[in-house]
Amino acid sequence: MASRWAAVGLLVLAVGGGGGGALAGPIDEKVIPLERYTTSKGRALAVAHQPRLLKFSEYVYGCMPWVDAQKQSIGFQRPKFAEGDDRYFSTWVIIDQKEDPQFAAAPQPRRMSAMFSRFGMDLMRRMATIHDVVVDSNVQGFSVVVSWLKPGTLKSGQPVNESVAVFVEKAAALDYLEGRMPADELGRRVRSLAFDGQKDLGAVPLEIWDDPFMATYKIPNYEPPPGITC
Amino acid sequence: MRIRMLLPAFVLAVGAAAGGCATSEEWAEWRSHSSHFASGQHATFSLRNREGTAPRVARADIDAARRENWWGKAITVSPDQIFQN
Repeated sequence: MASRWAAVGLLVLAVGGGGGGALAGPIDEKVIPLERYTTSKGRALAVAHQPRLLKFSEYVYGCMPWVDAQKQSIGFQRPKFAEGDDRYFSTWVIIDQKEDPQFAAAPQPRRMSAMFSRFGMDLMRRMATIHDVVVDSNVQGFSVVVSWLKPGTLKSGQPVNESVAVFVEKAAALDYLEGRMPADELGRRVRSLAFDGQKDLGAVPLEIWDDPFMATYKIPNYEPPPGITC
Repeated sequence: MRIRMLLPAFVLAVGAAAGGCATSEEWAEWRSHSSHFASGQHATFSLRNREGTAPRVARADIDAARRENWWGKAITVSPDQIFQN
């Protein structure tokens, strides 16, 4: 009972500390609600870090408007392949991207590598700055899912999203982000799952490279919502 | 005999490499692309112009542009295919 009140208290505090007001909806709906966790480890992580998850959601919403975080996607997910209760600090984003002939001409594995390098790695880099989450020994690693419109499917009348889900152990992610591991080795160390719509393509060999897009791209005249500093 | 057997493989490899080169030039263009945000252009249409101030794009403008630009529900992998709770 006490823990339930503590959880509610934390949540109230977190929502208050997040966007609040009109922004609370688009920000807190991206965070996995506590009742969706089915294990005590997952729920304990969510309770402990709820304010940080909301803050991260607020940052993505306010500062990266070309990225649309999926509802109930920010939290501590357990991959399908995990045998134990391994929890990865996770985010899932849909990329709002125009049809582009150069992108369409690239083979599907190349598109997976490109989208993960451009969007997934940047999000992972930002997630790795959330110190309290990173140092939590119950956090196994990071996971980012990136989805985007598969080229040509809009014209066909049934749009389909391609998706790549990537899981990285914490030590490997930090070694890469802190310059102790080259990108090609990280590419070999990650575990990826690729999907064409709902068709499971299995693991895709990922090539990872530095892409400055997320750090440099700006929407002309964009003004973040009040109270959000980018 | 061995050369004859290897020739098709060689032709395929050269073809793949040539295709790769053509793609990589185009690829460089995608990689330097900075304006591929689908709702971005729409957002500029709904700028709230205030007299005497620079036009501004708010997050709500982008949400509205995205709704306007919405092409229907895309088939997407389900979370259950990736995660277990």
